[in-house]
Amino acid sequence: MQLETVRFGTLEVAPDAIITFTQPILGFQEYRRFVQLPGPSDYLRWLQSTESSELAFIMMVPTVLVPDYHVDVRPAELSELAVSSIEELEVYTLVVVPEDKSKVRTNLRAPILINPRLRLAKQALLDRSDYPIQFFLAPPHQGQGQAREASHAGLNP
Amino acid sequence: MLVLTRKEDESIMIGDDIEVKVLDLKESQVKLGIVAPKSVAVHRREVYLAIQSENTQAAAAAQIDALTDLIQR
Repeated sequence: MQLETVRFGTLEVAPDAIITFTQPILGFQEYRRFVQLPGPSDYLRWLQSTESSELAFIMMVPTVLVPDYHVDVRPAELSELAVSSIEELEVYTLVVVPEDKSKVRTNLRAPILINPRLRLAKQALLDRSDYPIQFFLAPPHQGQGQAREASHAGLNP
Repeated sequence: MLVLTRKEDESIMIGDDIEVKVLDLKESQVKLGIVAPKSVAVHRREVYLAIQSENTQAAAAAQIDALTDLIQR
């Protein structure tokens, strides 16, 4: 089927690639159907709405930043996604890319869980205060006038 | 907003399937028990709103290439 997207133009997607959210992404009640699109690396992906050409999220694999990132999901949520263990799910965290690139961040508190076999998904809210809603990717400013680290020099040409 | 007053151990029914019970009542804190179907999400409001807001920011996502620079350490 043809999918209109603002960022990627018109795409051809297989109907069985469509992911259905069993509960919506918070704040996006009406949008339940998405497709995953590849990003520039294997740990970054797009989640493009099939119901709005403008709506897309960037997802990342959180273990790239937090190697021991671990999701505890209640049995009710596992059965909602038609799996019996967390290992059967793909876990991603949504990324915020604001105008100020030094504030790029990801939400570790509310990951996106996807059953890749049945293409069911939801946003889970974890009960962990040690996983922040805003986990900043860039190191904090060291102070005025200090040389920025090479890792994010490319963001501020 | 519907306002009801309850004492400790009293409950409220929301629809046929949701019960909110006052389990413990102290001077400045109430402990609530919630019975709801698995399909209904129950969360502290401030967390819910913070995540909703953050999701909205995420939907306004800009350039993905900037991310790759950032992640390459």
